[in-house]
Amino acid sequence: MVLMATKSAYASGATGVSNDKIKIGILGDLTGHAAHWGSGNLAGGTLAFEEINAAGGINGRMLEWISVDSESSAPKGIAGFKRLVDQEKVFAVFGPTSSAVGVPLLKTLTASDVPVFASAFSSPLFTNPPAKNIFRSGTLNDADQGRILADYVAGISKKRSVAIMRQSDEYGKTGATNVGNRLKEIGGVKFTEEQFNASDTDFTSQLLRIRDSDADVMVVYGYPAPSAIVMRQAKQLGLPAQIVGSTATASRTYAATVGKEAAGTRAMTMARFLPESDEEAVAKFRKAFEARFPDLARQTRPEGTDQLAYHGAKTLIEGLRLAGRDLTREKLISALEGLKDFETGIAGATTFGPDRREGNRSGYVIEIKDDLSRVVLPQAYSAI
Amino acid sequence: MASTFIQLLLSGAIAGSVYALLAIGLVLIHNGTGVVNFGFGDQLMVGVYFLVFAQQFLGFSLPLAILAAIVISGLLGLAIQGLVMTPLRNRPVLIPIVATIAIGAALREGTRAFMGPNPWPVPFLLSTSPYRIGDISIVPSDLAILGTAVVIMIFLYVFFEFTKYGQAILAACANPTGALIVGIPAGATTTGIWVLSSMLAAIAGIVIAPLTTLTPDIGLIAIKGFAAAVLGGFASLPGAVVGGILLGIIEALSGYYVSSAMKDIVSYAILVAVIVLLPTGLFNRASVRKV
Repeated sequence: MVLMATKSAYASGATGVSNDKIKIGILGDLTGHAAHWGSGNLAGGTLAFEEINAAGGINGRMLEWISVDSESSAPKGIAGFKRLVDQEKVFAVFGPTSSAVGVPLLKTLTASDVPVFASAFSSPLFTNPPAKNIFRSGTLNDADQGRILADYVAGISKKRSVAIMRQSDEYGKTGATNVGNRLKEIGGVKFTEEQFNASDTDFTSQLLRIRDSDADVMVVYGYPAPSAIVMRQAKQLGLPAQIVGSTATASRTYAATVGKEAAGTRAMTMARFLPESDEEAVAKFRKAFEARFPDLARQTRPEGTDQLAYHGAKTLIEGLRLAGRDLTREKLISALEGLKDFETGIAGATTFGPDRREGNRSGYVIEIKDDLSRVVLPQAYSAI
Repeated sequence: MASTFIQLLLSGAIAGSVYALLAIGLVLIHNGTGVVNFGFGDQLMVGVYFLVFAQQFLGFSLPLAILAAIVISGLLGLAIQGLVMTPLRNRPVLIPIVATIAIGAALREGTRAFMGPNPWPVPFLLSTSPYRIGDISIVPSDLAILGTAVVIMIFLYVFFEFTKYGQAILAACANPTGALIVGIPAGATTTGIWVLSSMLAAIAGIVIAPLTTLTPDIGLIAIKGFAAAVLGGFASLPGAVVGGILLGIIEALSGYYVSSAMKDIVSYAILVAVIVLLPTGLFNRASVRKV
């Protein structure tokens, strides 16, 4: 369960802080169905922490970290957090990395005074209502994403008719509900909703129902694997609607997974620059990531999720820096609360506040071109 | 509309042939060894990863990569039989069944650790461009799944019904001691079944994975294979194929004519009704053991 640990003597003062070190716990799903996000969290966090140590540390202290695998399981996540706090005596926790673990973990997190910083998953319940010690930046939560998606599709639907094709679980339900609610607020756009299971392999019945409607835009709110089949089968059935996927469909390998039918489809994303971009900060990150994690590079990574984790870790580092040499948990929380439009060049700007724990509330739209390359469309969409 | 109905039948049959391929593998192992292999879906998954690894990292051509994947999967079956199932052969049947669950989990998490959790593209064996007849779309790559299921079913059916070796395997499974007395080595036939079913898992995976996308969790669709096998009687190969295709068609029709939210409820209600009314499934004959 424990991947890496280093020991050091801790001086009195804040838990997990000594004269020369700050101890951070990294909590994430390294195994199980949500391992994609957890492995990104560990890699992005490790890279950012190693870089700051190489640059001399934070206010005279080096970071050390210990990683615990929550195994895509809520009970394991709760046990892992308690281990980090009670046994490993960490100062702060970077994670968790999935809604399936993060939401059931909330009561345990809020009952502690340990600052918790997440960057990966999208359940809005994690930051709403805001809890004093819980922060998230990088990802776009499903409430905000639903709102932004609705604004976008309402803008491009000439027939003022939208179909929502969503996964049957909490992820799809939350996203689709927020798309629908926002479309009702906008008014004048009718919408239909169809659902599917994440393990389904045929979507003909739903797609034919959508074809029977006059929707000219279809939102697909589901995990990458079923969404890929939905998009391919929609094209094969001759569905004329413009397809727009959730952020889950914004991965680097997604277009290749769908095949040539991916051309012309669009998806939400959080970052202005894709991980394959030549933009300076992203290219520098990608090069460092590939050198540090060749096994992940072999899997066409860094992915967007790795990018967000790196961004999140750098934001946490900025909070630690601003909290000063006389470091306490209260001071870190106060420092993070004071962040406004903090940029890493890797993902969207982060803003927190006394009643705001969701750092990023804006997104962009990706379009897949005929050669299956991806471009980010220039307009930013805000959920505020 | 007639075209909509035909499209639903066609798409349902394609989806059903995915279930059928899974069901055939489960029935094969069950008929030949008496074990329900809960790790079959994961064997299918790892077989496709062998192909991807051979093609993308070893530079194999697609046909060679397919061949390598099938052969290595057969060797994996040999290892499972030799290292796990043989030592457990005299234990209560529940023990080897639990072992298959453990093997499946080990394959899944091992693959996730080595190949990562992200989806991998898998090449289609036939074109994904549809032929259109009116409003009906026919996709060659999808038909490959249906065709593979039918060909494998016919091959195995002929093998078990009309060859001495096939009959020997069934005899050894039904009565290992009796089979041994008449000169049929139960161990060799069981090993043959594990190798054959593991190779079948790879073949099934290679035709299914381009459609479903390849992740370490692709094997979880085996649950539909179980449902199809139960519908067909769990001991009948034609039953597995018909059960799978029937399940796919029921899902497609109920998804369109009832609602997508009710699709699984309707499908599984029918499955439960079949089990209640026909406890041995649509195709299986009730077995009678004479003492």
